Amino acid sequence: MADAAMVNAPDVKQDLSRSRARGRRLVDAVATLLLWSAASIVVGLLLLFVAYLFYKGASVVDWHFLTGNPTAAQAGGGIGPFIYNSFYILLLTLAFTIPIAVSAGMYLQEYASRGRFRQIVQFSAESLATVPSIVMGLFGLLVFVEAFHWHFTALGGALTLTLLNLPAMMRVTQESLAGVPATYREASMALGGTKWQTIVRAILPSAIGPLTTGVVLIAGRIFGETAALIFTAGASVSYGRSAYDPSVWHTAETLSVALYQTHREALVPDADRIGNGAALVLLVMVLLFNIVARVAGRRLSRRLTGKST
Amino acid sequence: MVEAKTQLDVKMKVVDLDVFYGSFQAMKNANLDVPDRRVMALIGPSGCGKSTFLRALNRMHDLTAGARVEGNVTLDGVDIYAADIDPVTVRHRIGMVFQRPNPFPKSIFENVVYGPKIHGERNRKRLLERAEKSLRAAALWDEVKDRLNRSALDLSGGQQQRLCIARVLAVEPEVILMDEPASALDPIATSKIEDLISELKKQYTVIIVTHSMQQAARISDFTSFFLLGELVEVGTTSEIFTRPKDKRTEDYITGRYG
Repeated sequence: MADAAMVNAPDVKQDLSRSRARGRRLVDAVATLLLWSAASIVVGLLLLFVAYLFYKGASVVDWHFLTGNPTAAQAGGGIGPFIYNSFYILLLTLAFTIPIAVSAGMYLQEYASRGRFRQIVQFSAESLATVPSIVMGLFGLLVFVEAFHWHFTALGGALTLTLLNLPAMMRVTQESLAGVPATYREASMALGGTKWQTIVRAILPSAIGPLTTGVVLIAGRIFGETAALIFTAGASVSYGRSAYDPSVWHTAETLSVALYQTHREALVPDADRIGNGAALVLLVMVLLFNIVARVAGRRLSRRLTGKST
Repeated sequence: MVEAKTQLDVKMKVVDLDVFYGSFQAMKNANLDVPDRRVMALIGPSGCGKSTFLRALNRMHDLTAGARVEGNVTLDGVDIYAADIDPVTVRHRIGMVFQRPNPFPKSIFENVVYGPKIHGERNRKRLLERAEKSLRAAALWDEVKDRLNRSALDLSGGQQQRLCIARVLAVEPEVILMDEPASALDPIATSKIEDLISELKKQYTVIIVTHSMQQAARISDFTSFFLLGELVEVGTTSEIFTRPKDKRTEDYITGRYG
């Protein structure tokens, strides 16, 4: 584009302009290369990471490893109960987080006027979001484990994770709703819809895609969370407790906590082997959550908005 | 009421209407009688307040933070801004068509029955009847009857706008407000919308904002001219276009304003 203008420049200035244009092109090329490299580093790191974990863990993971029970002291233990507990705590956490966070986000985005209460809620959520997960874990220890005398329970772990993830889920809700064109809101209100009808029938169906994506991404985070669970849901599945307990009161060591424990204080001789396998399973699970988040979000919004293209 | 024999019934009456956006006054002391089952055009240059005026008639300003409406707007003699009036009921009786077609991202059928559904109609057969009747009235039925379950977003702009009109008709309002409904459409789609408006006035009171004086002349019975937040002059469309009383109206009609 720049060259076309240069051709029409007066003769006297032409040489000067050309050399300046060449200089600028060089800067442009260098900048492009640098930015491209930075972006490639991100992709490269991920690939390297995945490749390394596969290299170390692929030989470990088989059906027996995925479903078998952990052992206390002898080699050959599996991670079945840990996977069960991870999903158990994930679902329990989502059952608490989604209703509260979606309602609060909806309130802030659609109902609250820009007054004091809205500011307080927003500020609280942002403060809550900055609390490190280990601090949240200690809070859970003090409240659920000790003050309530629950000891280490799936429920205590899930409630701690709920506190940890409420702000992010609230933000996801707010942003999904804010992304819906104002014209849908106007159309619905102009047809005599109440605010609630407008939200449920006109706004939510259009927001469900990004909302689903957000929920699944947060689910991935919950699945991988460790620090907040060590002191709340516990780390003791390997010694004696029922491995697949449906009660919310059972001690529930998750996959990520087990990974941490294996490296810290395992008595089994093949701790490295179990660690490598568990790390690979955890990584694949979290990657799956991310992929599902993208696909499901797109599918759902296409179905609910009825776009045929 | 002796005069009522010779005069048209007044459907909506606006008295001393002021509209503010924050501290800015967008409409100053407007007064207007809207005759029943006629087309009233609101004309004037961009930013003159005609859309602001229109949106005051079905309480759409309630949705805008910082907007404030003062004065009286009555529908069949009842003040729609009275404390005991539910704005939802007002919008049920006074429908609105927007400048850009704004169908929901749902099927054609779901768009038309959106209103009836939120007002409590559940019976599938009655919903279908209502959809057909509204789509016929909006001159869209023949084009979409075989694909009611397809997305409304796949329709052309002109079809989408007629769908939006059908969606309003399905609520069975008494007054239909239109905010430059054809400004985003091509000439053929525009003429279809205009034919439709002439058809609609047999049953409905239509108030239409338009930036096109030709359009106002073609479709309206009455015209009001707005300038700088004021309602300058109201009259029958032929009066306004041939013998305007106000100098400012004349200047605008003859093209001396932008």
